[in-house]
Amino acid sequence: MSLAFAASLQLGRFKYEASFEAANEIVVLFGHSGAGKSVTLQLVAGLMKPASGRIAIGDSIAFDSSTGTNVRPQDRHVGYVVQELALFDHMDVSDNVAFGVPAGVDRRARVRELLDLLRIGELGSRKPATLSGGQRQRVALARALARDARVLLLDEPFSALDETLRSTLRRELLRLRAELGLTIVFVTHDLREAHLLADRLAVFDEGRILQFGPREEVFRRPYNRRVAELTGTANIFSATVTETGTDAIGLDIGGAKFSTAAPSFPVVPGSAVDVAIRSDRVNLRRPGEIANAFQAILVEEFAFGTSHGLHFEPETAGPKVEVEIASRPYEVLGVATNPNWLIELPADDLHVMRAT
Amino acid sequence: MRTDRATAATITLLAAVFAVYFLLPFIGLIDRALDDGRTWDLAHSEQTRKALWLSIWTSTLTVALAIAFGTPVAYLLSRARFPGKPVVDALIDLPIVLPPTVAGVALLTAFGRRGLLGKPIEEWTGETFAFTTVAVIMAQLLVATPFYVRAARSGFDSVDRRLESVAYTLGASRTKTFFRIVLPQMRPAILAGIVLCWARSMGELGATLIFAGNFEGKTQTMPLAIIQAFETSSVGLAGAIALSLVLLAIATVLLVLFRVVTSRGAFQA
Repeated sequence: MSLAFAASLQLGRFKYEASFEAANEIVVLFGHSGAGKSVTLQLVAGLMKPASGRIAIGDSIAFDSSTGTNVRPQDRHVGYVVQELALFDHMDVSDNVAFGVPAGVDRRARVRELLDLLRIGELGSRKPATLSGGQRQRVALARALARDARVLLLDEPFSALDETLRSTLRRELLRLRAELGLTIVFVTHDLREAHLLADRLAVFDEGRILQFGPREEVFRRPYNRRVAELTGTANIFSATVTETGTDAIGLDIGGAKFSTAAPSFPVVPGSAVDVAIRSDRVNLRRPGEIANAFQAILVEEFAFGTSHGLHFEPETAGPKVEVEIASRPYEVLGVATNPNWLIELPADDLHVMRAT
Repeated sequence: MRTDRATAATITLLAAVFAVYFLLPFIGLIDRALDDGRTWDLAHSEQTRKALWLSIWTSTLTVALAIAFGTPVAYLLSRARFPGKPVVDALIDLPIVLPPTVAGVALLTAFGRRGLLGKPIEEWTGETFAFTTVAVIMAQLLVATPFYVRAARSGFDSVDRRLESVAYTLGASRTKTFFRIVLPQMRPAILAGIVLCWARSMGELGATLIFAGNFEGKTQTMPLAIIQAFETSSVGLAGAIALSLVLLAIATVLLVLFRVVTSRGAFQA
């Protein structure tokens, strides 16, 4: 099932305009709270009405401002799970799930099938209040699927759970998507979660999608400084273009020379640009003749258990750089005993953006 | 340490004094009633039975009317936005804060024989509300409905709107959502409203006295019967005591029942 979404509206001083599409995949809407992620889900579900736009769910048009179409939420056939789950506390688990089963379908059989699918077959007669956080999640998902919804809208559904449970449920979600061929729109402000789940990622900021694309592309090739910041790129530099070629360009970052692939937008020598590189893409090298590298001193470090965060300052020229390195190479390289390193910013990972 | 202990002692003492003051009248009532040999007969008199029956059925009807008319009002006050809402909101409370006698006078001026609406109605039909059983219910309705509306409104306020949103996406109509999701969620509030409204109707005196009068078998509810017994009856206080005892018993049973029902509701929720 596919979803094609384009909508705009004005809510007081909040201006919203976004478009994206999803087809048999997980699209993660990522951004800070108040950026417009939850509004997007409500627009898709029909709980809010755009001022203008077009929303198509599968073959059916749910909303189209040009024809005045606005299908009510009851008839949009999407599964919607909110952050607090909104389970019906006065009903047991079976009745919660049965609430969404359409008339004319064998209710008991359908409920049984859904509870089994979510691996909570034994919880049917329990009241939601007596369930654990993870079990409640599964009930909410089973209920959302009760109408044979093939588009699932999930609004930070795992945010109240501890990390172990979250990873279990993420795997579960991936399994469901594969088994049922679901299209899932997943809202989160958790970067790790976005990275783990997204096939494609939409980065929201102040009511707009700054970038929408395959996960790796958004993480590695952010559209601008803001996207780089939001997606957790630790190293964002202001740079000047020194020379331009057909494929590659030269850059000056903090007085040191680097080269990288030419950006998709036109630049000339002297152009100001922003440059981003993720902390895990930076290489620590022994002294030698290496391109795209500069001499730097380790000034600060943090241990994160499985990895180390290292802060370098340039010896003579170059930018301040944050490096993330796994524990094993950290030990093998002997980083702890030697503060002087050649920092390599590989051309493949040095990403040039329009200056903002 | 010393001041802490003194504070604790003061709090306990104040609470104890209040408890004694609070309980003593009821103990006194029961004590006198048990002492007096006439209590049982007086509580069983024809007049008592009529008054009690009138009180019970009018109060019950009042509650039914309060639910029918008050629930939509509570819903609108909780959910709708309309001009003058704060004014309406405040007006609903008016009968709660006003002396009931004022409500009685007001009813008379509206529905009495010379009232705003009462006069044309009488000219047209020859009927009048004042000093009839209908007037008893009207007085109770005006005075007691706000208690139900208040409770129901806070019930609507307390229902998570996302439950409704999710119900809609599950294909439930607004009507189905209201009866299957919203109402059950606010059951404790509705029950509280019903009990408060019924109790207030049972206890209604001032407005009834002025608008409906005190006619045995027609408008004489229990509180009115107590007043009459106290002021005019040959048995004097004994009659008032007997009637009061009946009301006290009903109120106690009602409170206990209410506790049982709402605590079970809380457990289910």
